Amino acid sequence: MVWKKVVTVPVILGLCLAGFLPAHAAETIKIGVVGPRTGPAAATGAAFEEGIALALDVINGEQGGVLGKKVEVVFEDTGGTPEKAASGFEKLITKDQVVVTVGESHSSCALAEVPIADRYKHPLIIAEAWADEITAKNSRYVFRAGPCNSGVVKDNLLGFVKDYGFKRVAIVAENTDWGLGIKKLAEDGLKAMGVEFMTVETERQSQDHYTELNKIAAFQPDLVLAFIYGFGVHYFIAQANETGLFPKKALILEGAGPPSLWPEFWQNVGDAGNLELFLSRMHSKVDFNPVSKKFREAYTKKFGKEPTDYKSRSVYDVLLIAADALRRAGSTDSEKVVDALEKTNLEVGSGVVQFGLEKGDYRYHQWQPPMLIVQWQNKEQVVVYPMSVKTGELKK
Amino acid sequence: MQDLLLYCTNGLLLGVIYALSALGVSLIVGIMNVINFSHGELYVLAGYFSALFARALGLPVLAGAGLAVAVVFLFGLLVERTLIRNTYGNDMASLIITFVLSIVLQNAYLLIFGPYPQKPPNWVDGSTRLFGLFYYGNQRLAALGAGAVVIAVLFLVVKKTWFGKTVRAVAQDREMAAMVGVNPDGVNMLSFALGCALAAAAGVILAPIFPVTPTVSVGVSLTAFIVVVLGGMGSLGGCVIGGLILGLVQNLGSAYVSSGYKHFFGFFILLLVLTVRPTGLFGRKQL
Repeated sequence: MVWKKVVTVPVILGLCLAGFLPAHAAETIKIGVVGPRTGPAAATGAAFEEGIALALDVINGEQGGVLGKKVEVVFEDTGGTPEKAASGFEKLITKDQVVVTVGESHSSCALAEVPIADRYKHPLIIAEAWADEITAKNSRYVFRAGPCNSGVVKDNLLGFVKDYGFKRVAIVAENTDWGLGIKKLAEDGLKAMGVEFMTVETERQSQDHYTELNKIAAFQPDLVLAFIYGFGVHYFIAQANETGLFPKKALILEGAGPPSLWPEFWQNVGDAGNLELFLSRMHSKVDFNPVSKKFREAYTKKFGKEPTDYKSRSVYDVLLIAADALRRAGSTDSEKVVDALEKTNLEVGSGVVQFGLEKGDYRYHQWQPPMLIVQWQNKEQVVVYPMSVKTGELKK
Repeated sequence: MQDLLLYCTNGLLLGVIYALSALGVSLIVGIMNVINFSHGELYVLAGYFSALFARALGLPVLAGAGLAVAVVFLFGLLVERTLIRNTYGNDMASLIITFVLSIVLQNAYLLIFGPYPQKPPNWVDGSTRLFGLFYYGNQRLAALGAGAVVIAVLFLVVKKTWFGKTVRAVAQDREMAAMVGVNPDGVNMLSFALGCALAAAAGVILAPIFPVTPTVSVGVSLTAFIVVVLGGMGSLGGCVIGGLILGLVQNLGSAYVSSGYKHFFGFFILLLVLTVRPTGLFGRKQL
């Protein structure tokens, strides 16, 4: 009979433990995050991790959790590739059982995630994937509290070109959903403004841009709009300097933003980075509201440095939006969460979020944050656009 | 004309580097009949070491590059002795082992160096106006020269030295070479390490221009295999010609067709050559 005890006791203990574990796990509400922790935009993953840590401090700290429980984040790496993003997102929903997912930084990945959100009726809040098509699909479950190509081109790039009087603009765009989408919008906008332009495409993973630069140099532009996301834009800037194009003959405006803020930027471009322009949602001297100020202070306290990559705040914002929607929904039921998201009226680091509700185009479930155009001047960030908030003069 | 010269110069530079990084694969295939799937990872390892030696230890950049190649050579000796030697005669086993090694190394790089690009300082800064027509980065010109020198030295070693003769003897007939006093295991070990050192040489020469990341190795390996198949398995001369063809075709295709599909041209030319000549340009017919 002893052997029976030897077998039975561990089995019962095991069953108790097995029964205990799910009960314990259910003490938290899980929110999924999708983004690149590896690949050419891996630095975004690091920025996301910082933003997640700060958001959890707020949500689980001063806000006391959600629906009486602590919030737990499960961060899935997309590697910046659609197939990995799709499988990772599906894993978050089915295996990790997250109740809402936020994040993303690659349009091609977000576009792969949209049908999955629809299939599982799972709320997805995009932070930083810009292709118009993401919200233009008009999915009930997909929201974007971040820039979209149309917003960036219309509100920022075209105004910058016009207000500073650039005459000839070259566009270099990576051949991705985001790159080709924003390229088309910029072309249409420049054409309507009567500004002469030329376009050249490049591979996203390409490290060598001499061929593209030669074509651009032949056009003799005074401004280059570089729609390349990831470390590729570093190589483009360094090589534009080597070939004598930038900054002697033309300025470069990097249209993706954070790559110019990544710690490796100066290592990769050297002195060639001076006078480069880039898009950003954040600047140490421009606080949009008390939330952005609070974020900056919390970031500095926690990490001992000033926040640079604005995507840390982008993911911070969407996590606050998700927590707010869950609270107002009073449930983790996805339909109720989506209804709550549609009624969002929340101040986050970039402004007051209200999603578009009229179906028909990209404006549905879209909220466009204000963007800045910043120039590196002797390794200092100077806001040069919009004119109303500029902190210095554009240097050529 | 100006455009064509620039595209050809750039194609030549990339061609020399492609050839250099593929020579290691070709050498190992030709002598040992082992396909080293971890070739790209060794390229990356040397890039990381050269950055580390120059930036963290403060060594002069060329000394750091030389030391990085030496470290990878020693690593190659170790890999051959511990992982490859037992697989001789079993091509599939060595292929699987090097494939697993490539995955292990990629993940190790991610863990140790992180996902970000690492770059040693440039050997030379600035740019030079070539043919009075266009500016070309001095570091690129230095890479072109260094790559050509390494290739020339390799050919001298293989064709003109005693070591080269023993290597060729083992490649032609392992048993006969052993009967006349050559130690095939020793030659294999040195050849494998030399192949790894060639990958490392390409890595240290190119890392100042194209910084290394954990996953950049996939593209490096793929390009090396395209060059080897294009030139003919085991043919060192074919490797150089294959590398130059690939570099030129990629650049001219990017320039005159579309720069959005640079890597497509490499695969296209590979398919074309394999359709007409399945053994590659200079491959052995029995293959």
